[in-house]
Amino acid sequence: MAVSTDSIRRVRTNGGGPTLRVSKGSVDRSSLSRRSTILIQISIVTVLLVAWEFVPQIPGLQQLSPAFDPYFVSSPSRIAECIWGLFTGANGSVLIGPYLWLTVSSALVGTAIGMLLGSFAGLLLSNSESLNRILRPFLVAINATPRIALIPIIVLFFGASFETSVVSAVLVVFFVAFFNAFEGGRSVAPELVQNVQLLGGSRWQVVSRVRGPFALAWAFAVLPLAMTFGLISVVTAEILTGFKGIGSLLSIATSQANATLTFSLVIILAVVGVVTVTIADKIRDRVLHWWGK
Amino acid sequence: MSTPATGDMTVPTMMTSDEPGPSRSAFSEREAVIEVRNASFAYPNSATVIKEFSLRVEPGRVIGLVGPSGCGKSTILSLLAGLRSPTEGEIVWSDEPQTEHRHPLTMLFQKDTLLPWLTAADNVDLHYRLTHSKDQTPERLHELFTMVGLGGAERAYPYELSGGMRRRTAFLTAVAPNPRVLLLDEPFSSLDEPTRVALHQDIFDIVKRMGIGVVLVTHDLAEAVSICDEVLILSARPATIVGSEEVPFGDSRNVQHLRESPQFLELYGRLWRQLTIQIEKSRAAQTAASAVVDTKRGRWGRLKSGR
Repeated sequence: MAVSTDSIRRVRTNGGGPTLRVSKGSVDRSSLSRRSTILIQISIVTVLLVAWEFVPQIPGLQQLSPAFDPYFVSSPSRIAECIWGLFTGANGSVLIGPYLWLTVSSALVGTAIGMLLGSFAGLLLSNSESLNRILRPFLVAINATPRIALIPIIVLFFGASFETSVVSAVLVVFFVAFFNAFEGGRSVAPELVQNVQLLGGSRWQVVSRVRGPFALAWAFAVLPLAMTFGLISVVTAEILTGFKGIGSLLSIATSQANATLTFSLVIILAVVGVVTVTIADKIRDRVLHWWGK
Repeated sequence: MSTPATGDMTVPTMMTSDEPGPSRSAFSEREAVIEVRNASFAYPNSATVIKEFSLRVEPGRVIGLVGPSGCGKSTILSLLAGLRSPTEGEIVWSDEPQTEHRHPLTMLFQKDTLLPWLTAADNVDLHYRLTHSKDQTPERLHELFTMVGLGGAERAYPYELSGGMRRRTAFLTAVAPNPRVLLLDEPFSSLDEPTRVALHQDIFDIVKRMGIGVVLVTHDLAEAVSICDEVLILSARPATIVGSEEVPFGDSRNVQHLRESPQFLELYGRLWRQLTIQIEKSRAAQTAASAVVDTKRGRWGRLKSGR
């Protein structure tokens, strides 16, 4: 690992004697190639899977903790078999396709609506001090309320339905987008607004040309996070309502103490989460390519 | 304060380097575009910031305002811009007939006002569209960018431009509406010296060619001498004009070579001496004000502790 002489700065601390400080980024930390990084990551996963598969089979360990009992932790081979069954219907397994579709579609719809409403509300309040003063305490109070506690109320309105899942996602995502859009709208430098005003721009032009794009950019920056929250909310709603989806399957699996199915569903959900967040990341980077370089 | 109407009349005709613009003498014969008459300003329940300040901004003439830090220079610009109203006195715009559509006033701020999601060309075009309700032609945009040495950078986003290029683009956004008055609020303070000098030359040439009246607020005396026709020295708060120097270098000056001339150094020295006096007065006033605050705090402290 090469350290250039320029990268070392002598600095005097309050303690007295000179100390060496290596300036940030000056050491060649990128010596670990992408290939090596991936190899290390694969090794870690392999070690964990092998340990998960074989450690619970060691006699006597099961008495020490449920963490070593295959009844509670299942095993990677059984989980792989279960996941295969969920996608192919092998061994009379339920097909996960329709469940997955309902969960993902309600998460997508809920996130989209939540993002739109939250961004709009954030922009509106960031642009009007009086409206902000009136409404902000209510929004803060609703945000402080655990949204899961509101799901039974939503069920009263919509029953155990697709709408309940969507509204649950909207309720959570709305606030993520709202607070970001609000901060984005408020973060606009006064010079930018004054500049538009000096050019004869109307109040609407200040909003449409300056404050609006800033607020939307800030809201869009949290799209991956919003997507994650949307998915979590929908699964939670499905667990609570029993409406068809991955959440309801999870609920059944845990009620039957079926560790293999539970782990299988959690892994499928994790993969779905990673895929949606990656796509959201790509969309955000494309839309906000001008930002953060 | 009367402000000229900005109704859409004709497409602004910005003179290119090939078209000789009105000379300095031609502009000086015209009346002031905007005049500040004995203006004073104070914030509500606060001490006076500006006192009996007068200023004439003529077409094609650059006036520099220098003074101690915090004396109220930027407040003067905000009065000129109409962002604040004087508590006393008046600011009057000339009502000369408009033969071409010129926006009354634009401002180049110290902070970057380029919108990051727009390309450099779109930023300039937006400023034109806001004032003229129509787009600049691509040819005109290219001409503008070439004028400040940014030909080919039109499609670049602000993050792709260097500090100097961003300032040049910001300057273009300010001149694209073809303003009668341009206010410069320490616009080059973030740039390195060579970039700043190069930019001074471009700005000086363009405002002379377009006949824009300019008010420049700066802390940099060399900058003031380089591009101004007159430099006004302001006192510490309340700001009032305590000195004025005509800059005798004319309209076809070479800013880079100018800095080596004895005349430049002599004028710089005279301004520096006047400014130093004001800075020392400002420091003395601040020390006196701090002493008063300390005395009041001391009394309050004794009251609280019951002594």
